[in-house]
Amino acid sequence: MQFHGTDKYYLNPELKEIVNIAMAMEKPLLVTGEAGTGKTQLAFQISRALDLTLEEARCKSTFKGEELCYVYDTVLRLNDSRFGTEESGRDVNNIWDYLSFGPIGRAFMADDRRVLLLDEIDKTDSDTQDNLLDVLEDGSFIIREINHKVKAKYMPVTVITSNAKRELSDPFLRRCYCHHIPFPDMEEMSRIVRLHYPEIPAPLMDSALAVFYQLREQGFEKPPATAELLDWLGALQLDGVKPPLSPDTVPFLGTLLKRTQDLLHHKKEKS
Amino acid sequence: MFLPFFYQLRDQGIPVSLKYVLEFYRALEKGLAPDLDRLFILMRLIFVKKVEHFDVFEQAFAAYFLGGEGDSIPRFSLQAWVEKDFSRWLEEELAKGTLADDALEKLSLTELLQRFWEVAMEQREKHRGGHTWVGTGGTSPFGHTGAEQEGIRVEGDSLHGSALKVIESRRYLDYAASATLRAENLRQVLGALKHMAPAGPPTELDVDATIDQTCKNGGEIDLVFTRELRDRIQLMVLLDNGGASMRPYLDLVKLIFGLMRDQFKDLDYYYFHNCIYGCVYSDAQRLTPYPIYQMLRRDPETRVIIIGDANMAPAELMLSDGAIDYFSKVRVPGRDWLWQVRDYFGHSVWLNPIPRHRWPRESQTIFQIGEIFPMEDLTLAGIRRAVEWLNSGAPPKKASRQAAALRHAQG
Repeated sequence: MQFHGTDKYYLNPELKEIVNIAMAMEKPLLVTGEAGTGKTQLAFQISRALDLTLEEARCKSTFKGEELCYVYDTVLRLNDSRFGTEESGRDVNNIWDYLSFGPIGRAFMADDRRVLLLDEIDKTDSDTQDNLLDVLEDGSFIIREINHKVKAKYMPVTVITSNAKRELSDPFLRRCYCHHIPFPDMEEMSRIVRLHYPEIPAPLMDSALAVFYQLREQGFEKPPATAELLDWLGALQLDGVKPPLSPDTVPFLGTLLKRTQDLLHHKKEKS
Repeated sequence: MFLPFFYQLRDQGIPVSLKYVLEFYRALEKGLAPDLDRLFILMRLIFVKKVEHFDVFEQAFAAYFLGGEGDSIPRFSLQAWVEKDFSRWLEEELAKGTLADDALEKLSLTELLQRFWEVAMEQREKHRGGHTWVGTGGTSPFGHTGAEQEGIRVEGDSLHGSALKVIESRRYLDYAASATLRAENLRQVLGALKHMAPAGPPTELDVDATIDQTCKNGGEIDLVFTRELRDRIQLMVLLDNGGASMRPYLDLVKLIFGLMRDQFKDLDYYYFHNCIYGCVYSDAQRLTPYPIYQMLRRDPETRVIIIGDANMAPAELMLSDGAIDYFSKVRVPGRDWLWQVRDYFGHSVWLNPIPRHRWPRESQTIFQIGEIFPMEDLTLAGIRRAVEWLNSGAPPKKASRQAAALRHAQG
């Protein structure tokens, strides 16, 4: 099984190798990098390109890790034991009717290899991360209530993303393959743009990219990234804006700069 | 294979463990590095876990693989490696007596490989600069008692028929207690430091209480929710940063203190010199005082760690005008200040960078302070015990306080 990117996703040759190595070694791949560099997209595209089902977990700070494996619905079972009827189709005596599985659980129990995305792992606290990595490394977890071990039939292709807002612990890093996606340079960026807007006229793109990279260098709190650029180019084309563009009068500035501070800052720079 | 390169990485400060090396060999066997480019990516994935190491790695890689050694990658087989190099090492170790001859039965292959790796790295450090192969010229610090045994078999082939020297198996060494402090094992120990307290809204179903309530309710379901347990630890570190006596331990203290800062979100730290009188300081230059009375209004559940050598003139501890700073107007002896802190913060401990076995020789104040705070040294075992003290929150040793007072009066 080899990953070669898709028609909607420009894949850096290095990243392609990395994904393939991680798949061959059955190791989780931790991708870090600025927002908008396609960290999360990577998992979607692997799933698309290899035709594997994607299991997705968007991390929250309250996660303890276990709910990504399974959830045991005690309240429902209690309720059924009191008020339950045949119609529910659940058997109160059978705990399996009250277990539901999270993305990790589903990926492990599936009869095919799946892509598992743990998005923004840095939002969870370090205990959760360590617990999760144990689970992912062994490819198994235990349903505590019945002491039943769920073992992965196929190790999922695991992609973990992190904005590196918080430092991840050493043991965590040790168990992953880590890759930092650098922000694409202008040439790579034009290829990415071409994938999304094959029809875009070259002068518009060149001029827009120049403005875009100039804006990025102004040290905004949230510098515009690929996603913003694509939105902006979409807006420019819909409106039929003609090049050349200048950084001083950027149409649809709101699609590029999202923070009020940044917008104000930009206005001040101009005047 | 590639051992010199791994040494090089290690020299450059990239931690290379046996686990990585084996993983790398496994990947090679899978044919994941058919060319130099992919070898580069593979190695980086396996060995480099932090962005700050990328550059160092790239340079080491370029120096080793592109520095005139040619870019051909010899075919690699883990099997052959185990049979040739590793077996040779094993043979020599057995001959020298550094490995007990029953080790082969007792230790798994991974354990043996681990040993091999440790020796390789150790020797590298001894003969820095040379690429000496493992097993040549190493000396063994272990004694031996002669014993004869025949027919040790590795991979089905008899290695030795002659007498093999036996030593006590190194397995019985208490690795944990004698292990040197490294960032890694320290982090593990500090990880045990927790204060679980209920937090947030009651959202977690208390199954036992629910069943109880439901029974009392005659079978009508009555759900009982509790608040979740979360780690709410607050940590305060008081650091003795004054005087020449602490200087030899600077690096050690820095390491530990740095780790604590990484690990705990709620960490406050203050500085003092030798003993605490009336206040500690929030800056290392000890210019901004933080009075003790203010400190004693904090949450008493705060965990307090004092790091200092507790080595001072007895007068500093015992006399009311003992404060080392002549301008200090405080007229309460240091010992009483320490008791105040100890009485208020039940979860407190004193960490002394002086190794425990030297305490009796250093200063009597070490023992006097040791009667106030549980005192541990900065070894891994010491810190582990200190974490236990902090978690259990041993009550202040009132009894020993009286005894100390008595002894003081008598003495």
